[in-house]
Amino acid sequence: MGRGYIVEESVEKHLANLSTVAGSCLSGLLVGHSSAQRDFVVLAVQTPRRESEGPPEGQRGSNPLDDTDVEWVSMHARQVTRMLPGGVGVLGVFLITPPELAKEAQSTLKRLVLAVDKYMSKTRLWDLSEDDVTDRVTLHICSKTRKAVCKTFDVKDPKCSAKPADWKYQSGISSSWPVVTCSVKLDLDIPVTDMSSENLEKCLKYDMLQDGLKRWAKQIESGVCLINGRLALDDSELLSGPKKSTRGSQRHTFQIQILVSAEEPEPGQRSSARVQACSGSVCVRGTVHCRAYIHSNKPKARHAAQAIKRDILNTVSSRVEMLLEDLMNEGGPASGQQDLPRRVFAPLPGSGLSVCDYVFPDETPTDVAERLKEILEWDSSVEDIDMRVEACCSVDALGGENTCDDGVPQEGPIQSSTDAGEKPKASHYYAGVTVAAVIALLATATSLLYLTE
Amino acid sequence: MLLTDDSTVIFRVRGMLDFSCQLDISNEKRGQSAITRCFEGLRSKISSESLVFLVCNSPVLLWPNKGLQSTVEHLTEETPCRDIHQYITVEDGGSKKASKKKERKDASVVNLKLLMEVTEAGDGSAPSLCVLTRRQHCARMPVSVDCVLSANGFDPLQTVCRGLVGALRRQLLDMEDAVLRHRKGSSLLVPQAFHFPLPTPGNLITVVYPAGVAESQLLSEREVLHRKYGLPSDRPYFRRANAFHFPDEPYRDGYLRNPHAHLTPPSMEDSKLYLVRGIYSYHHYMQDRVDDNGWGCAYRSLQTICSWFQQQGYTERTVPTHTHIQQALVDVGDKESSFVGSRQWIGSIEVQAVLSHLLGITSKILFVSQGSELASKGRELANHFETTGTPVMIGGGVLAHTILGVAWSAVSGQIRFLILDPHYTGGEDLQTITDKGWCGWKGPEFWDQNAYYNLCLPQTPKTI
Repeated sequence: MGRGYIVEESVEKHLANLSTVAGSCLSGLLVGHSSAQRDFVVLAVQTPRRESEGPPEGQRGSNPLDDTDVEWVSMHARQVTRMLPGGVGVLGVFLITPPELAKEAQSTLKRLVLAVDKYMSKTRLWDLSEDDVTDRVTLHICSKTRKAVCKTFDVKDPKCSAKPADWKYQSGISSSWPVVTCSVKLDLDIPVTDMSSENLEKCLKYDMLQDGLKRWAKQIESGVCLINGRLALDDSELLSGPKKSTRGSQRHTFQIQILVSAEEPEPGQRSSARVQACSGSVCVRGTVHCRAYIHSNKPKARHAAQAIKRDILNTVSSRVEMLLEDLMNEGGPASGQQDLPRRVFAPLPGSGLSVCDYVFPDETPTDVAERLKEILEWDSSVEDIDMRVEACCSVDALGGENTCDDGVPQEGPIQSSTDAGEKPKASHYYAGVTVAAVIALLATATSLLYLTE
Repeated sequence: MLLTDDSTVIFRVRGMLDFSCQLDISNEKRGQSAITRCFEGLRSKISSESLVFLVCNSPVLLWPNKGLQSTVEHLTEETPCRDIHQYITVEDGGSKKASKKKERKDASVVNLKLLMEVTEAGDGSAPSLCVLTRRQHCARMPVSVDCVLSANGFDPLQTVCRGLVGALRRQLLDMEDAVLRHRKGSSLLVPQAFHFPLPTPGNLITVVYPAGVAESQLLSEREVLHRKYGLPSDRPYFRRANAFHFPDEPYRDGYLRNPHAHLTPPSMEDSKLYLVRGIYSYHHYMQDRVDDNGWGCAYRSLQTICSWFQQQGYTERTVPTHTHIQQALVDVGDKESSFVGSRQWIGSIEVQAVLSHLLGITSKILFVSQGSELASKGRELANHFETTGTPVMIGGGVLAHTILGVAWSAVSGQIRFLILDPHYTGGEDLQTITDKGWCGWKGPEFWDQNAYYNLCLPQTPKTI
């Protein structure tokens, strides 16, 4: 009684076209949506070639599978996830191997699936809930016979063995998935304990950034969600009314509103403010556009709420990560205002869903198209890219009424984004290779300094 | 209890706001202006279009600063505010019979939750990140706002909402004051709002006190309030314990409050009622996992009296346990140390001693040589309840009880006693307690006509 994956026909065509040099292996990601009732796969993306190093194919070791670059596949998975709207994610991995490696392929697939999951959970601002499916799909295709074997692994239980699963093709599965959208205003002030340059190097990763954004993330997660202007009970059906044929019908769009409250203090309430010594702060302002898809089999209001909330958290953390990666590459953050990358959308041919990308102010639609092609094997035309979803101009957060500072002139020049100079086009993505060197800015690793009452 | 007008509706909005500001510790004045600016920011949030009121237990959401946009079409600016009730689903707990009898007189409370909308229609501005480098202290605390507005049921919704927004802004001003006044360097005390009932005309006054400051330190603030509202300086009105208890909020400690309020008073010709004032908790046998069946009745009566003093704000001390009571008697030298842990009875004299030692309360003792004489003590008891209003402990024969009031006719001398019986061993079931007379009106024949009785009449200190 394994899972059953319903797969877009376009995926079948795509997989069939993937060819490998004789004797070598090819890996890639499977993208879709998994729920308790159904599993859908809408996209298969080949792992892009790693630019660097390594001997040419066929000459590596005796077993090309051993050389599978698990880290590279994981990083690709993160890049792909950044390009996906809510409700759609990386579900698993596929491998195309010559017939003699078929048996070993299974263990490689398992390694990949576990590594990808671990890598992605590191920077997530939200926790998995009980509803979330922890099975990941693996597909093995024999390069000679083109026979496909589908199995699942439960990432919650690394010692488990593979379970068989069904793999069935169908057309138009996502064409009628309802989409929920909203625009979220950001107004965050995150204190930073230590901004000296020595620590910036040492400091870590994305979980530091998460510490600063976590409080905001909790507010969003526990916020009240309105769908099309109404407060809906968690288990009420999203699509009410007579069930029309979903094939070829209009995609329903729902506008979401999120209402938040500051968190309740714990029962052992402090009677005074929590004070922390810090050497600076980071403000995040502006509006981000969020979008999520819901699988269409009787979706409930809470599925919509969860999907959009996760997209909100993902889009903000992705952009902040990207900007900080960028700044670290240029020698550290300077004081002042920086534009966060804007979100743009493009249709994904063959599935009717949108995918997205993030652009810095100096980038063009052509840059976007190149990245989409590289990461997602997207091959639509540049004109299809919608660059206007989000606003282009940012309010001057320093001079305006809601200031980050309190009127005191701060040290350091105000760096405008045009001074940044030419950025290498895909650098934002490949900079992720040197993960350890980045993002110390929101480090709160050092213990908080409390001034007692 | 509060407002007897049927058509009055009390709107109460509560919410949490995040107070977060950067304090430049080297400069005192800058610190002050940072705090002020932060509260200004909160006030402008309250006045912004993103403010939302969620009507609890209903699908209704209102945007008070957006022309009263709501999630329900039929609610507009002009809708009478009492119509809100139609949308609220009442959670039905507890006995229906009892609530019908009593709640009728109380004004209904509509609870609202304060939320801020973070989504917006339209594009807004592009997202940006701004880095500031400055050594400072970042102070952060959750601020809990709590405002009430009492309205006539026919007042339009818009008026009510505007009133609540105004009340929220004023409360934030009061909170800013409280934070600045009690600030020590970077140490900021959390401001808390309390609602106090005034005797006339039945309004609620909201006061902000800083958390963690003892009542003794807030005396001058209370004096100002007493003067402002023309209240006598001989009893507390503005201690935190005096805060109004909203009818829809259950008491978390599980004790019943004022079960006598659910009784029908006896109808005697030319008689008046003289009852305990304020709120007490019903303490009786077997509570708190103490099996004091057969010996603890006076202890329980004493606990009821202590609960009265705590809830009227005369003491911050919690109700003492049997052990505390026994230890107190040992400490004053009234009993040997072996008394602690025993099941020995106590009487009015011991009650008087404990009240004095633990709470600093003096008591008058009234002695009656025969139970039949109690009927003639009507005037004294009536006078006690009228001027002092504390529950009375009475011990005699082999029993102790609490007298909560009398119905007395000055003309005929007829008298009934309102008795709270500590010998009840069951659970906190109001229905049983009132039906079976564990709290009930008794005639003079209730007393053992031949036994002698001592009554302990606790006095109230003249303090605020």
